[in-house]
Amino acid sequence: MAFVLTLIGAMLACGLEMLEALAIVLAVGITRRFRDSLIGAAGAALALALLALVLGPVLIARVPLDSLRIVIGAFLLLFGLEWLRKGVLRLAHLRSPSSSFKEFVEEQEELEGLALPAPGAPDWAGRTIAFKGVLLEGVEVILIVTALGARPGGLAPALIGAGSALVAVIAVGLVLHAPLARLPETHLKYVVGIVLSSFGVFFAAEGLGVSWPGSDAALLYLAAAFLLISQLQVHVLIREQAAVAAA
Amino acid sequence: MSTLRQLRKLVLGETWSLPLGVALALGAAGIYRLIDGDDSWWTHAGGFVLLGLVALALTASLAGALRARRR
Repeated sequence: MAFVLTLIGAMLACGLEMLEALAIVLAVGITRRFRDSLIGAAGAALALALLALVLGPVLIARVPLDSLRIVIGAFLLLFGLEWLRKGVLRLAHLRSPSSSFKEFVEEQEELEGLALPAPGAPDWAGRTIAFKGVLLEGVEVILIVTALGARPGGLAPALIGAGSALVAVIAVGLVLHAPLARLPETHLKYVVGIVLSSFGVFFAAEGLGVSWPGSDAALLYLAAAFLLISQLQVHVLIREQAAVAAA
Repeated sequence: MSTLRQLRKLVLGETWSLPLGVALALGAAGIYRLIDGDDSWWTHAGGFVLLGLVALALTASLAGALRARRR
């Protein structure tokens, strides 16, 4: 149960973050040069790999298991609840829908104003933008994979999930940006928010000495509870908006 | 926006109410556990208390977003 949920959670969360990074790399590549965009992205990937190599072993070797669970739970709650908050606001039409395609277009428009260097000369502006974009989105991927993988038995599904997401996102990148516009990102991010928040409460409570009824199956009723709570909040927000509009 | 500010936004999110709410929920649960030790009530029901506190944190951050929009 925990294996499948960890795999799905890692795959969805990492896939969506990687899509946002892909939008930036594509925008830099199309507007400027693909070579410089890929050099910037590769530099960020190297920096992220180093971060992952340092962060994972240090957390697992140095932090006691119960404290580690609380730390992992706190991180997952921070990410999960933020995604859930945005998801509720989007579903209640209080925030614009999530769209990597829109980010791609905005990034492309910003880059069109920057002059390109002479052919053969390195395009440091393009490299820096691609590096920064991939690094910032990647930090979240590293933190989510480390948090999900730090639990005993959690590393394999977290890595398989992240790896599958990477393959899927590269495939999307290869067939260019058209599929970006068709992804139901708002709903996918809302689901990721529910999954990560459930893992967050599960781990943090375990670290605080809680023994969940049903063991790993608790993840399912926690996800159901978050779904119910967030849907209630969506309905309340829609009703409040309607009441304000009518007044 | 500076890189550090973007990093803070990525880790802590767009609002302060949510990270504060999570910190308060975990802090309150941790303090209760420290005071009461391995209480059997907490072992079986503590998770649901934490779920309730986290749900409150989410509700508070949404209420904040709604208030900000009305202004």
